[in-house]
Amino acid sequence: MVCGLCRRACQATKITKKRGERFRIPPFFKERRLVLTFTKRSIITLVVLAIIIGSAYYFFSQRGITYIWHWEKMPEMLFYHGAKSADDPTIRLRMGVLMMGFMLTLKISIASTFFGIIIGTVVGIARLSKEPVTRWLSLTYVELIRNTPLLVQIYIIYFFVGTMLRLSAFTAGTAALSIFAGAYVGEIVRAGIQSIHKGQMEASRSLGMSYANAMRYIILPQAFKRIIPPLAGQFISLIKDSSLVSVIALADLTFQAIQGVARTYHAFEIYFTVAFLYLVMTFTLSMATQYIERRLAISD
Amino acid sequence: MIKAKNVYKTFKTTDRREVKALVDFSTDIKKGEVVVIIGPSGSGKSTFLRCLNRLEEIDSGDIIIDGVNINDKKVNINKIREEIGMVFQLFNLFPHKTVLENVTLSQVVVRKRSKNEALEVARGLLKKVGILEKENGYPSQLSGGQQQRVAIARALAMHPKIMMFDEATSALDPEMIGEVLDVMKTLAREGMTMVVVTHEMGFAREVSDRVVFMDEGRIVEEGTAEHFFTNPTHERTKLFLSQIL
Repeated sequence: MVCGLCRRACQATKITKKRGERFRIPPFFKERRLVLTFTKRSIITLVVLAIIIGSAYYFFSQRGITYIWHWEKMPEMLFYHGAKSADDPTIRLRMGVLMMGFMLTLKISIASTFFGIIIGTVVGIARLSKEPVTRWLSLTYVELIRNTPLLVQIYIIYFFVGTMLRLSAFTAGTAALSIFAGAYVGEIVRAGIQSIHKGQMEASRSLGMSYANAMRYIILPQAFKRIIPPLAGQFISLIKDSSLVSVIALADLTFQAIQGVARTYHAFEIYFTVAFLYLVMTFTLSMATQYIERRLAISD
Repeated sequence: MIKAKNVYKTFKTTDRREVKALVDFSTDIKKGEVVVIIGPSGSGKSTFLRCLNRLEEIDSGDIIIDGVNINDKKVNINKIREEIGMVFQLFNLFPHKTVLENVTLSQVVVRKRSKNEALEVARGLLKKVGILEKENGYPSQLSGGQQQRVAIARALAMHPKIMMFDEATSALDPEMIGEVLDVMKTLAREGMTMVVVTHEMGFAREVSDRVVFMDEGRIVEEGTAEHFFTNPTHERTKLFLSQIL
C-alpha cells in the first residue's frame, strides 16, 4: 500500500468494485486506463471484422466464380507518388481519388454536424417555447424534414434554392445535410431538456438568473451530457447519409467510388475500400463519443 | 417588507378540475421577522412561497415586496428574485457543478462579481454552514443534509434580503434534520427575514416570531408560537396539532 506503483494498482481494483470512489484515482492513471479500454475494444471489433471478411472471401472463392482481384490498384487510389497532369508536373506524394473523396466527405460531415448542432439546439429550445407561433414553426420544420426523403431534399435545395441563391454544390449539399440533421437533433435536444428535473430551472430562476442564462449554464450542459448517445448515433448516420450528396456531382467518397468503378471496373475492391473508409470515420466518432461520455461521468 | 393583499391562485389539474390553492390570502411580513407557515398538505403553503418570487403567477390580488408590486408588467422579476433566496425540499443543487461552483455561479452571472470575490464569499458561507472541506466535491458525493446546507449557502451568496424555505427538511433522513435546522436557526438569530414552510414544530416554537396556520388556501389562525401551541382557538388548528404532536 505504500509504494507508488502498488498503491495505484490497489486503488484501481478498489475502484472497479466501488464506482462511488472513482474520483480518488490519480488523473493520469485514469486517462491511461481509459485509453487501454478503447484500444482493447477497437482491436476486438477489428478482429471480428477480419474474421467475417475472411470467411466471406473464402465462400466467394468456393463458389467457382473466376474473378481476378486487383487489390494492388487500391493503394494508388488512396495515395500516389508522381505528377498530376501536364499543368502540375511536380513529382511528389499526392492524394488519390478515393482519398480526395474521403477528405470531402469528412469536410461536409464536420460542417453539417456543426450546423446541425446549432440548428438542433435552437429548434429544441423553440419546441418548448411559451410562444405558440415559435412552437408551431419549429414543429412544422421538424415534421416537414423528417417526413420527406433526404435525397429529394438534396435535389430541392440544390436545384431550386441553389438556383435562386446561386449556391455552389458544396454549400447546397452542406445546407441540405445540416437542415436534415437539425430536425433530428432538435427532437433529441428537446427530449434532453425535458429530461432535466424542473427544479433545476426553478433553482436557477430563483437565484435571479434569466431564462437564457439558466439554459446556458444549467439546463443545456446537463441535457447535452445526457443526449450524447443518441447524438452520436445521429451524427454517425449523418456521415453515412452524406453519401447521397454524390447525386449533385459533389466529388465525395461515394461519387469518387462510382467514377472509379466506371473507369476501372474494379467494383468489388473499390466498394470494399470505400466501406472501410466510411467505417474509419464512423468508428472514430463512435469511440470519441464514448470517451467524452466517460469523461463527463465524473460528476455522477 | 412583504405585503400580500387578497391573493387568489387556482390550479387546473390534468383532468381539468380547478383546485383553489390560495383564497383571498392576505398577510404582512415585517423586516427581520421569522414567519413559520404550517398546515396540512395541499393547504397552499408552498404555493404562497412560490408566488412570492413568481415561480407561480397569481390570478388576482397584489404582492408587494419592498414597495414593488412584483406582478407589475414593468417589473424585472430577475431583479426581485436576486433579493429573495429560496431553499427547496429537494435541494435542486446543480449536479454538474462542484459545491464551490454551485455557490459562485449566480454571484458571477447575476451579481456580476469577480471570480475571486465570489470565491471569497462562497468560502465564507460554506464555512458558516460547516461544509468547507467538501468544496471540490460534486453534489452526488454529499449526504442529503450536506446538500441542503450547500443549497442554503448558494441562496445566501446572493446576499438576499429575504430567505424562503420550502419544506427544507422534509426530504432528509431524521439524523440530518438537525444540522440543517441549526443553520436556519443561526440565520434567524442574525435577523434575516425568513418565511419558512415546515413540519418541524420544534423549529417553529424556538425561533419563529409568528406562526401562520393555513388550510384550504386560507389563513385559519396566526399568532406567536407561544399562543399557537399552548392556546389555539380554532377547532381546525386544534385538530391539526393533535394529529402531529
